[in-house]
Amino acid sequence: MLTWMPSRKARDDVGMTSDIALLTEDLTKFYGQRRGIEGLSLEVRAGEVVGFLGPNGAGKTTTIRLLLDFLRPTRGHATVLGLDPRRDKAALHRQIGYLPGELVFPGRDKAEDLLRFFAAARGGVAWSQVTEFAERLDLDLSRSVRTMSKGNKQKVGLVQAFMHRPAVLVLDEPTSGLDPLMQQEFLAMVRDASLAGQTVFMSSHVLAEVQQAADRVAIVRDGQLAAVQRVESLGKRAVRAVEIHFDDPVDPAEFSVLPGVSDVVVSGPVLKCTVDGRIDPLIKAAARHEVVDMLSAEPDLEETFLSFYYHGEGAGDASRAGA
Amino acid sequence: MLPALVRKTWRDDRLALTGWASGVAAFTAIYTSFYSQFQGAAELKQDALPQGMLDFLGIADMLSPAGYLQATIFSLVGPLLVLMCAITLAARTIARPEEDGGMELMLANPVSRAAFAWQRAVAAGSALTGIAAIPGLLLMIIVPWIGMDIPLSNVAAASAGLVAMVWSFAGVAFLVGAATGKRAAVLGITGGLAVAAYMANAIGGMLDGWHWVRWLSPFHYFIGTDPLHTGWHPAELLTLVLLGAVTTTAGVIVFDRRDIGV
Repeated sequence: MLTWMPSRKARDDVGMTSDIALLTEDLTKFYGQRRGIEGLSLEVRAGEVVGFLGPNGAGKTTTIRLLLDFLRPTRGHATVLGLDPRRDKAALHRQIGYLPGELVFPGRDKAEDLLRFFAAARGGVAWSQVTEFAERLDLDLSRSVRTMSKGNKQKVGLVQAFMHRPAVLVLDEPTSGLDPLMQQEFLAMVRDASLAGQTVFMSSHVLAEVQQAADRVAIVRDGQLAAVQRVESLGKRAVRAVEIHFDDPVDPAEFSVLPGVSDVVVSGPVLKCTVDGRIDPLIKAAARHEVVDMLSAEPDLEETFLSFYYHGEGAGDASRAGA
Repeated sequence: MLPALVRKTWRDDRLALTGWASGVAAFTAIYTSFYSQFQGAAELKQDALPQGMLDFLGIADMLSPAGYLQATIFSLVGPLLVLMCAITLAARTIARPEEDGGMELMLANPVSRAAFAWQRAVAAGSALTGIAAIPGLLLMIIVPWIGMDIPLSNVAAASAGLVAMVWSFAGVAFLVGAATGKRAAVLGITGGLAVAAYMANAIGGMLDGWHWVRWLSPFHYFIGTDPLHTGWHPAELLTLVLLGAVTTTAGVIVFDRRDIGV
């Protein structure tokens, strides 16, 4: 008797193309001996906004350039919209909007002529879509791109990335050079793109913008993926500075043994410490005393982010020794 | 309709192209137009220079129309001008935008790597062909006009040789740029090869036992057959065209296989 059973692989492939916009498996790039990115495995679902965080030199741009097929992986592979960045480059790039981290435009065209070139090269883009984004970003298209300020060049870069309404936006440091007002407008563009079902993968070392726009953040450190978190759970898991004023002096030893509590400093009745993760153990311990006042700083992604560095292997000893 | 990238390449190069075109045109027109006035001076020059030097410079005789054209347009300065143009234009196809970073946004468009490289090569190559053809086209007008006694077919053969030789060096320059992405490498390696090729042709013509080195030189296939006296030599021209085609194809293949902007 014959039974038709779809192979596991076939089912997986269907799933991949339908809801995974971006997939990397063990993606690795070495430049000779120098490491770009190592063993990156990451999955971005269609319609998601993912922030890609890390300090300069962590491997963010290397990863992005691998996705765009400017670089070829040393090991592992990546797929975008289920397609191979190299083999399917022409078809794939029709559906990708890309903003380079170091923005250099070819030629000395006016912004309008340059954008008309991009429109033609992408098989025709309605000019109204170009002017719509230019107006949102308050960009003068009649000026030559060579003479523009960094911020205005960045706007041209954003317009060309968004103008053909690509399925995937890959943006390397998108807000660099933009003033705060334009950063807000950019974040609004990202939200609109996400609502329209577009996937956004943006690198940054500015956390505030990612916190506002992203569903998830992937944090890279020294060329390796340190963590992938939903933005709201990062808030829960956050490191916060806590200050408790008691009625009477307390013993620091009582608090420094608590899970997640560190940097305990007691001066008389005032306790200052840092809490990583759940604050409950500290509250329970404090409740045994008469509490006069308690201050807890708003959990900041920046501190959470830094804690990934300072509490990571290798970096930990150095930072504690320095502190 | 031509690919957007080809039109963009021409537009970005338009200043350089205008400059080279007017330079080559002026050079050709000025030298040829003063043919009659130069006759006296040419006689002096010919007498003043030893035969070995004349051979090295590729000057057969300055007095006949063919010798005059050979000495002025088709020897040192003419090929030098168009070769410089070829090498700088080829350096602009890949090496320059890769170094300054402008290539990323061009490559981010929906074209394959190979299509990108071909379109850049075709855009630069066609512009270059136009510039290298200027001496020939002008001579077609000037030669009958000032009454130089030389068959136009021979002038056309020499001019076609100039274009074919420029293609061969442009192909080499494109290959170096596509492989390295470095402008300095394109200018240095191709420039060095051009000088070596010129020397090989000159020395091979003068020294006994060294004739074979001429076969290594594109200059030999261009002017060594003496087209101004002997007319068309299809095999030699084809060799130059093949060299250009093979190097360009090799350039596209290596560009398709390597990392960009590292």
